Amino acid sequence: MKPVVELEHITMEFPGVKANDDVSLTIDQGEIFALVGENGAGKTTLMNILYGILTPTAGQVRIKGRPVTDWNPRQAIAQGVGMVHQHFMLVPSFTVAQNIVLSREPRKMGLFFDDEAAQAQVRALSQTYSLHVEPGDLVSQISVGQQQRVEILKTLYRGADVLILDEPTAVLTPQETQELFAMLRRMVEEKHMTVILITHKLYEVMAISDRVGVMRQGKLIGVEQTKDVNERILSTMMVGREIVQSEPVKSHSFGEVQIQTDKLWVQDDRGLSAVKGLSLQVRAGEILGIAAIEGNGQSELLEAITGMRPITSGQVLLRGEKVNGKTPGQLRDLGMAHVPEDRMRTGVCLGLDIADNLLAGKQKCAQFQKFGIHQNRKSIRSYAQTLFDRFDIRAAGVDVPVGSLSGGNMQKVVVAREFSQDAQVLVISQPTRGVDVGAIAIIHRWILEKREAGAAILLCSADLDEVFRLSDRIITIYEGRVTGTFAAGSVKKEELGYYMTGDREERGHEA
Amino acid sequence: MKRKIDWSYLISLLAALILALGVGAGIMALTGHNPWTAYGELLKGATGCDSLGEFFTGIWTKRQFGNTLEYAMVLFLTGLACAIGARVGIFNVGGEGQLYLGAIVSAYIGAKLSGGPPALVILLAVLGAMAVGGFYAFIPGWLKVKLKVNEVITTIMMNSIAIYFCSYLANGPWKTTQGNRVSGTDTLSPALQFPKLIRGSNLTTAIFASAVIALLIWYVMSKTTTGYEMKLTGQNPRFSKYIGLGVDRLVIGAMVISGALCGLVGMFEVYGLKGNYQDGISNEYYFDGLLVAMIMRYRPVGIIGISFLFAFLKVGAAGMELNAGVPGELYRIMQAVIIFFLAAESGVSKLLRARLEQKKGAR
Repeated sequence: MKPVVELEHITMEFPGVKANDDVSLTIDQGEIFALVGENGAGKTTLMNILYGILTPTAGQVRIKGRPVTDWNPRQAIAQGVGMVHQHFMLVPSFTVAQNIVLSREPRKMGLFFDDEAAQAQVRALSQTYSLHVEPGDLVSQISVGQQQRVEILKTLYRGADVLILDEPTAVLTPQETQELFAMLRRMVEEKHMTVILITHKLYEVMAISDRVGVMRQGKLIGVEQTKDVNERILSTMMVGREIVQSEPVKSHSFGEVQIQTDKLWVQDDRGLSAVKGLSLQVRAGEILGIAAIEGNGQSELLEAITGMRPITSGQVLLRGEKVNGKTPGQLRDLGMAHVPEDRMRTGVCLGLDIADNLLAGKQKCAQFQKFGIHQNRKSIRSYAQTLFDRFDIRAAGVDVPVGSLSGGNMQKVVVAREFSQDAQVLVISQPTRGVDVGAIAIIHRWILEKREAGAAILLCSADLDEVFRLSDRIITIYEGRVTGTFAAGSVKKEELGYYMTGDREERGHEA
Repeated sequence: MKRKIDWSYLISLLAALILALGVGAGIMALTGHNPWTAYGELLKGATGCDSLGEFFTGIWTKRQFGNTLEYAMVLFLTGLACAIGARVGIFNVGGEGQLYLGAIVSAYIGAKLSGGPPALVILLAVLGAMAVGGFYAFIPGWLKVKLKVNEVITTIMMNSIAIYFCSYLANGPWKTTQGNRVSGTDTLSPALQFPKLIRGSNLTTAIFASAVIALLIWYVMSKTTTGYEMKLTGQNPRFSKYIGLGVDRLVIGAMVISGALCGLVGMFEVYGLKGNYQDGISNEYYFDGLLVAMIMRYRPVGIIGISFLFAFLKVGAAGMELNAGVPGELYRIMQAVIIFFLAAESGVSKLLRARLEQKKGAR
């Protein structure tokens, strides 16, 4: 095996933090190398150094034997290194082909953009690597999985043979993840490429990688052959202690129906029906899990229930009372809390600090105001500090802007605020998307605690494992309708897949 | 929560000011004026003081200094009016029209009720000016919230409507019958006009009311629950809706208060300065205030502070024109230079920071 990337004693210091601390790592040609670690462990920093975005404080990088002297991405690309970022960098109004050739466009007469040549080149490229895309499609109209393929093709078009993927599966459905992995395997085996995968999903590491490096607090803790380790060993290495997965208590009695929908119809942003006559109910002390592939109406359903989206027809009932048309504020007053799926856009206010974000929704409580108008900063601060400690938010203090927190800590802020409301009904969407393992275990524990306390919980997650672990009952949704209802433990994951893709359906039942 | 002063921004502001003075000096030198004497005249034009000693003894009696304070008052009131809207995410560009309407309505009330008890008439004029300004701002606010009509376009167009409508009133139905003036409303009786604080200057008792208003706005925006809700709404309306705020009500409310404040500025101009309504009563005051608000990123304390600086430059430039022969338009150039440099501020300071880090990295 020939080493293709050699990192020697890399140290990267930011003001007040050592993001990388004396990391030495060699990656061989033709392997899939997984780099794992909690959020903030320094994985992305290390890869940004390799890609030339950051200049290390100390240490050396060699790509294919040649030491890197000039730190910029252009240099890295010239050496055959390509990187696909977690958040895609595509122009939505351009076609697939236009995005791929951007910055190296084929030209007519050296001046005009040659769209036909671009499409032909992209078609050839996509055949060579068996990465199917339609060159003429607009990027804004293709799925997330396809956009990722476009990103990968973009790096290949620039001649990359070392591919860095930063959290590539965070936005993908299980099926798309499978496809991506098969694709990566093919590229490594047939084209002798090298893939570096940044992730914190351990089962993915086990499924795809040849070797795995674990980072913790800027240090490389260890590099192992994947076949020699298991998820348990890796998670212990990542966190530095063993994570105790609390097993949910499955057998207990449920209370009255708290929240239900009755033949609910809801439209999506384009005015098409996304939820089509959907009925469900959740009882006190019960977690109802929704299993569905992204884009089948589950987002619109939860938004309609929580008052964020208008209802076309049908009813939402809270403890038997109709709550259609109530605002999110009124629903909160009636005892509903909501962890939204998109935390950056909906769940937090990025520019404000942690204290102000934790306060939101309770700002008019008597304890936070004097004379009914003056904000009592002192009591707000001490209240925020209490939640900060209780929910284990990791930051320098409550006056740190939420926008500077890692995904896991940002989600803890959302959960802390929503779970401290004494709500009887919790609507939770993607509770652990992009959150590190340590925080996932904690958030799962809190959700189960809420259930023990008698809350009715409607849970929706793209992570099927999560739905399986937490739910008392599971419903599958396909194209806006319920296709199946299952008691926990009575069904296998693979079986659910048939219902999630509409291949099977239980007729005429109510969830 | 600690609210720290943004020192780096203040330093940038100072640098921009020095650069603007430098550019101004360069232009004067090129056009054959002596920058040194011209800036001396500028200082004198804004303060009325000939010597350093006078700054400490006689400044409070100087006509020019009174004018500077009066213009600063107009700037910070209009600047704050703009900031109130911006805080909740709506950009009121229609303050000029709201100001005109406030001016003419208050002038009409004063003219019609000239025999009434002054305190009552003034109160009615204040309420009338604020009501008409507020209502005129309510329209674009409502259109934005309910029909998603861009408020910048509606407010700009409504400026023209208001200004020409006022002109029609002042030249038609509400035109004065006193003497043989061609336009404008009746002159207010002396009992209604605000007393001058410095003889011969524009400075009237309105400045006390303005100080109270500024204090009140600062307090509401930075210390109260309402101010907190405004900030949430402006930064992330979707989050605000999710958290249960009445986003629509906050946006319309802020717009109405912004408009009412502009109407009040119009009333101050009539009762303090002009004595009646006349065309061109506001020399684009609101747009100057809007610039001030944007430069200080809609922060109340900053707006109040920088208003004095800009008023100083503008009033001083008039003196400079008179005594040193330098065209007063130089003020506009300097203002533009300050805005350019501050607009580049975030880019420049990022560049400097990156350079510093690279130096450290290369070590």
